[in-house]
Amino acid sequence: MSEHSLEHELRWHTSYWPLLLSVGILFLAPLAFTFYFVYNKPFLAIVSLGVGAPLTLISIAGWVKEGMEDIHGYGEGLSVWAMPFFIVAEALLFVGFFAAYWVMRLSAPVWPPAGTPEMPLLVPIVMTIILVSSSITIHIGEKRLEEGDNSGFLTWLGVTLVLGILFLAFSAFEWTELFHEGFNFKTNAYSTAFFSITGFHASHVLVGVGIFLCVLLPALAGRTNVAFVRSASMYWHFVDIVWFFVVSQIYFW
Amino acid sequence: MSVSVESLNYQSRFSLKEWIFTTDHKRIGVLYLIGSFAAFFLAGLMAMLMRTELSSIGPTITENPNTYNVWLYFHGAAMILGYQIPALTGFFANYYVPLMIGAKDVAFPRLNALSVWLFWMGIVLALLTFVIPDPPDIMWTGYPPYSTMTPGNTALYTFTVLLIGFSSIAGGVNFLTTIMYMRAPGVTWNKLNVFIWCILAAFIIQLIFVPVLGVAVTMLSLDKYLGTNFFNAAMGGDPLIYQNLFWFYSHPAVYVILLPAMGLIYEIIATFSRNSIFNYKGILYGGIWGVVLLGGIVWAHHLYIAGIPDWMALVHVFLTLLISVPVGLMMVGLVGTLYRGSIEYKTPMLYAIGFIFLFLIGGLTGIPNAMSAIYIHITETYWIPGHFHYVMAISVTTAIIGGTYYVFPKLTGRMYHEGLGKLGFFIFFIGVNITFFLTLLMGVKGMPRRYYDYPQFPELEGIQQITTYGSYLIFVSAVIILVSWIHGLVAGEKAPQNPWGSRSLEWTHAPSPPPPGNFPRKLELTEEWSPYNYGS
Repeated sequence: MSEHSLEHELRWHTSYWPLLLSVGILFLAPLAFTFYFVYNKPFLAIVSLGVGAPLTLISIAGWVKEGMEDIHGYGEGLSVWAMPFFIVAEALLFVGFFAAYWVMRLSAPVWPPAGTPEMPLLVPIVMTIILVSSSITIHIGEKRLEEGDNSGFLTWLGVTLVLGILFLAFSAFEWTELFHEGFNFKTNAYSTAFFSITGFHASHVLVGVGIFLCVLLPALAGRTNVAFVRSASMYWHFVDIVWFFVVSQIYFW
Repeated sequence: MSVSVESLNYQSRFSLKEWIFTTDHKRIGVLYLIGSFAAFFLAGLMAMLMRTELSSIGPTITENPNTYNVWLYFHGAAMILGYQIPALTGFFANYYVPLMIGAKDVAFPRLNALSVWLFWMGIVLALLTFVIPDPPDIMWTGYPPYSTMTPGNTALYTFTVLLIGFSSIAGGVNFLTTIMYMRAPGVTWNKLNVFIWCILAAFIIQLIFVPVLGVAVTMLSLDKYLGTNFFNAAMGGDPLIYQNLFWFYSHPAVYVILLPAMGLIYEIIATFSRNSIFNYKGILYGGIWGVVLLGGIVWAHHLYIAGIPDWMALVHVFLTLLISVPVGLMMVGLVGTLYRGSIEYKTPMLYAIGFIFLFLIGGLTGIPNAMSAIYIHITETYWIPGHFHYVMAISVTTAIIGGTYYVFPKLTGRMYHEGLGKLGFFIFFIGVNITFFLTLLMGVKGMPRRYYDYPQFPELEGIQQITTYGSYLIFVSAVIILVSWIHGLVAGEKAPQNPWGSRSLEWTHAPSPPPPGNFPRKLELTEEWSPYNYGS
């Protein structure tokens, strides 16, 4: 090893973003929730959100920028291999919620329990179509990127993003409808399972959309990373597969 | 060997920026170490308060039983989530994994930094317990319906668990990737340190089970603050869902703690016996993987009296008894490694021997607990805390302290004072045995656990007092241990690269302390290389 590269190695690497991101998360979720729901102090909750949300967003942006410049470089390309491990953990989150749902459902004397309105069946079918097509579009986008067709990649990534946002819009529409019919978190065991599982899935779609934004914005400036795109689309396929469980268990069973 | 590194003087100056924004695995490890020992100290303080309260019948230092509940909550939560798991899968994993596998750093250094800071944010939340007017009083288990009805702050508990849990998941993703894809050429699967295998297994368990705990505690706060009905029996929910989900994680969590602790003991015993590991492959494939496979399907032995069906209890009796086979295999491996070794009783080795003794008591006292017919008579007595303090609290603490003495020269570049180290060990060992053996005895006498007061057991007051003195002895030992570390850090003599004569990469190829990038020279490992090749 030459003297020069040794000197380069012998620097302690640093990054601002991990610490700032964790502080952002602390304000964004735990503190804001606690102020609002435990202590009934909406003002402090808003202040907490006001500190946490920008800090989180800035940190993520900085993190992505650093990742694109690849200052550290030790794990180059390994994210594709790491994503499956993360997906295992994510899958188990859903297993936990489904387990609770199955226990409540299988031990109930009557199902659906009293207070459940007629559930919409068309909306989930439309949502399924949207999500499955988005899985296909991101796959095409990924292929385009591998072929070196950057503008094709951007187009298909954009389509995927729109589909993801459309899915969230349908989810929001459905929730509002159900709230109007008096079906909410508190109604009964079914509402508990319904809102927690669909809400939890929607939060994953939201994260997926966020990840795609983190891919899209640097891509617009001409910076792409194939390993990052592959991991992102792997995550998106996972969210898609979970939706099949949500639809079959929550709506059509 | 390390001449060129020292000439560059890479740590001549202290820079705060290079510490708090660091992405280097060794420094992140130290951040874990500081946080986990701080949690250990505070949680230990809570234990002292509880023991003092119990030293006489009637109010001793607090008039308010709920204060005792808050101590109990903080003691359990901080010891497990704030001290043991971060010390082992945080500090030791971070420090050792890249060094032992010959890597420059972990796969995702910044994710690693996020892990440690999320853990610290969890500590910050846990510390709010002492500031807010309504501290959580739900033990570290947080069982509903009490936890969804108490005026205490359940959200604080939920988010503490979630932050530390998220930190664990990120750590799991990071370390599994690192161990699988970043081993240096020549560091093959069947030559890995036992500690690395243990960390791999521990993180697999973390990845699978932590999310389930996250779901369980999330449901608690959803129920309490948003009005869902997961655990509300009147609305079709079931509190037992929580107990099942909780122990589905929290029993395997015992192995998350135990396996790396065992791994540390293996490293220490192999080094100070100058011996290769006895039954190495049996330990890897039978012991460690046996624990991983069985660990996830024995959780219901925590629920024998909670109202589970008889068949389920029966299945879990047998599975729980079965898990003593792989664990026993690992114990035999430890003793077999000692056999015909050239044993050297340095401080870490004393702790390792102590571990074998304490863990044996812990394991044997667990066997009656596994059998539901006996369990119903001893549950909710002091027998249970006596058992689990032996098996996971003090035996694992023995491993953590011993492991810290072992890594001390590498970590700081200086030697600790051997005499102080040994003195600390003997006082610690006597203290823990007085405290927890008497706890077991009181359990047999029927003393109920978690009680703030015991007017119905006047005959136990004397034994309670001796137990309290035992716990003070542990405190004294902790002070001596801390003093020995600070003394070593400030005034210890300079440590050579390999003071223990170990064959493991971190001692043979990395300077003390290792520079950024760990290995100043390219690693060239021969066919014969093995971390346990002592030529025997």
